[in-house]
Amino acid sequence: MRGTNAALGVAGLAGFLAPAEAAPRLGLVDEEYVPPASRIAVALGEEAGDPAFWTALGDTLTGWALGLAIASCAGVVLGVVLSVVPYLRQATASTIEFLRPIPSVALIPLAVLLYGSELRSVLLLVVYASFWQVLIQVLYGVQDVDPVAEETARSYGLGTWARIRYVLWPTALPYVMTGVRLAAAVALILAITAELVIGAPGLGQRIGVAQTSQAVPEMYALIVVTGLLGLVINVGARAVERRALAWHQSVRGEVAV
Amino acid sequence: MRRLSAGLTAGALLLVATACGSSGDEPSKGGGSSGGITTVKVGLIPIVDVAPLYLGQKKGFFKEQGLELEFTTAQGGAAIVPGVASGQFQFGFSNVTSLMVAQSNGVPVKAVANGIASTGESGEDFGALMVKKGSPLKSPKELEGRKVAINTLKNINETAVRASVRSAGGDPDEVEFVELPFDQMPAALDKGQIDAAMVVEPATATIKNQEGVEIASPLVDVAPDLTVALYFTSKQYAERNPEVVEKFQKAAAQSLAYADAHPDEARETITTYTKIPADVLAKVTLPKWPAEPNRASIEALMKLGRSDGLFKTDPNLDELLP
Repeated sequence: MRGTNAALGVAGLAGFLAPAEAAPRLGLVDEEYVPPASRIAVALGEEAGDPAFWTALGDTLTGWALGLAIASCAGVVLGVVLSVVPYLRQATASTIEFLRPIPSVALIPLAVLLYGSELRSVLLLVVYASFWQVLIQVLYGVQDVDPVAEETARSYGLGTWARIRYVLWPTALPYVMTGVRLAAAVALILAITAELVIGAPGLGQRIGVAQTSQAVPEMYALIVVTGLLGLVINVGARAVERRALAWHQSVRGEVAV
Repeated sequence: MRRLSAGLTAGALLLVATACGSSGDEPSKGGGSSGGITTVKVGLIPIVDVAPLYLGQKKGFFKEQGLELEFTTAQGGAAIVPGVASGQFQFGFSNVTSLMVAQSNGVPVKAVANGIASTGESGEDFGALMVKKGSPLKSPKELEGRKVAINTLKNINETAVRASVRSAGGDPDEVEFVELPFDQMPAALDKGQIDAAMVVEPATATIKNQEGVEIASPLVDVAPDLTVALYFTSKQYAERNPEVVEKFQKAAAQSLAYADAHPDEARETITTYTKIPADVLAKVTLPKWPAEPNRASIEALMKLGRSDGLFKTDPNLDELLP
């Protein structure tokens, strides 16, 4: 099963790389603006040999990880609190629906006003974008709690904390995991965008410099790195999800097939 | 979090007010000093234009004045102007029209040193209005009804191109201007998505490499020896730290003069903060780096900006210029 998956994955990648190499070579697109995959690979190799590249990668990962951690904790805590107190949920519903669609990128001037081009600017954008992903999932997750289970727990005399721990949390956890997985991808996108536009140190800033310098292969090489980073993050998030939900029907069902 | 929600509700209209507020709260932020050396943050775009500052830092001109520059490179004014206005960066680099627009919008900016000037030689400037190889277009007049790419609409390059069209006997209102980043212009021109592009280096060199043709030097057409960009700070910072501004001015003037006199060293410096490929860099036309802005040229630019409707209120050059 696992072997087939890997083989299919490699085949898919080859199916993508072959045309990416051939199209510029055959002159279908201009080699100067869309360099063939092999030239991008060479540029990627040169990047990997530059210590500044690794520093930038570290900066991006720091912004991503911190932002995701803050957004996830805040999303889970606030989500649970809002759900447990019905009045709060009703009072905040319209505010959440108002704030949620505001694109994080639109907050760039605000971030620069408050924090300049520091890590905190990146964090503001990352947290703002990924917080909603987690919060909304937590709210849905808590709504999904089985009223019979809840009533049973009550009649057995479980307190609020115990009910959160043994009834609410196991029901909401699959939703939380989905939320965090979505937030992980969004956080990466926003971290890179913030670096690109604001100039905070990181991969995004290097992409920006390559762009304004007309260094096309280097630019694509860095973009490939962000793609790979996204891939790794998604694989990692799925692994965490599988482990945390090993007891859950959805995961057990997947394994049985 | 409180500041975030406050900012959100205040909305974009209050950005400027927030800017004043937050720098008022934290006057000491940034610009730290230790051992007689003051560190100042400078917001820049990583392009050819700002080479003198990197060179001056390397040559120790700023250190002699007791300054240490910390560079932040952003993609454009979206990050630099609010950063300087709120005191997150002490100095920034921006084109003259953007500064006049900012001032007319009530953003308290104050130019402190010259940035760059056009070379003043038509056909040999760092900025050029270009068409692709084999294009039938020969004069800016023929751009009526055509698509012309500008990096930022309603800014210095659009004003300059409009001036070139006008002086060639055309009607600039008939030209269709589209916004496109400089680095995407060569490809768009090559593909025929646009009919002409107002580019600056290194895109100018890239298009020349493809045998594109220059049909005008708009920045030369605006005024002789046009001052294109300036280094600036916020009004509050200038008022509170006149001695730092003065030191920056002295070191910047020295750096500009040095870079102007040593173009090869300037070119070498560019490789340290950009990734411009060597073959392109060799063909790049460097701007002029005079130590003083040319007021007459800025007045000409202001007149054009006014007729193109860029300003809410008339810019006050006495307050803006150093």
